[in-house]
Amino acid sequence: MPEDLKEEIAREVASTRIVIYGKGTKAAPRCGFTLETVEFFNGLGYPFEVIDVLENLPKREALSEMTDWPTLPKVFINGKFYGDTDILQPMAASGELKATLEEAFGGAAPEPKATINLR
Amino acid sequence: MIDDNALTGLIVDRLPDAEVRIHDRTGTMDHFNVTVRSQAFKGKTLIEQHQLVYRALKGALADGRVHAVELTTIIAES
Repeated sequence: MPEDLKEEIAREVASTRIVIYGKGTKAAPRCGFTLETVEFFNGLGYPFEVIDVLENLPKREALSEMTDWPTLPKVFINGKFYGDTDILQPMAASGELKATLEEAFGGAAPEPKATINLR
Repeated sequence: MIDDNALTGLIVDRLPDAEVRIHDRTGTMDHFNVTVRSQAFKGKTLIEQHQLVYRALKGALADGRVHAVELTTIIAES
């Protein structure tokens, strides 16, 4: 595995608390599973980044090697690998995810954006 | 493409006690629902359980025999 790619990934997952490696961008996911994951994190209310690796095969291979996980998307929280929504959904249901995120961010999620009241 | 027996064999090679259920989701023999029951999952987190199975399938995923797996792991108690 190229060391520079490994270092790049290590830097990315260390610099942002929630990183999703996926296909497409946050605004325009190009895969149903990436979309599902973006929607999942939108619902949680914490900031997150999506890194598009659809066209970057060497980086996808490096990621798979590093995680023993063959598929995209791949979610990292505080630099630790958490798989995908197959893992995160049960963690959310058990309350484990809430605890993990509160620890990562040092508190509860910001309140959801207030809805606009029309007079 | 891979048939059910070969796919089961890859998993049992790694996890000899595993009971494996396979469902071909698309009829194309490369997108599968896989359920694995094993004592090897005891004491492991869900992600570690999935990683155990993915390690067994690494070669088949890398060379394209398997495209997609929806994985369920069950801890066998005895």
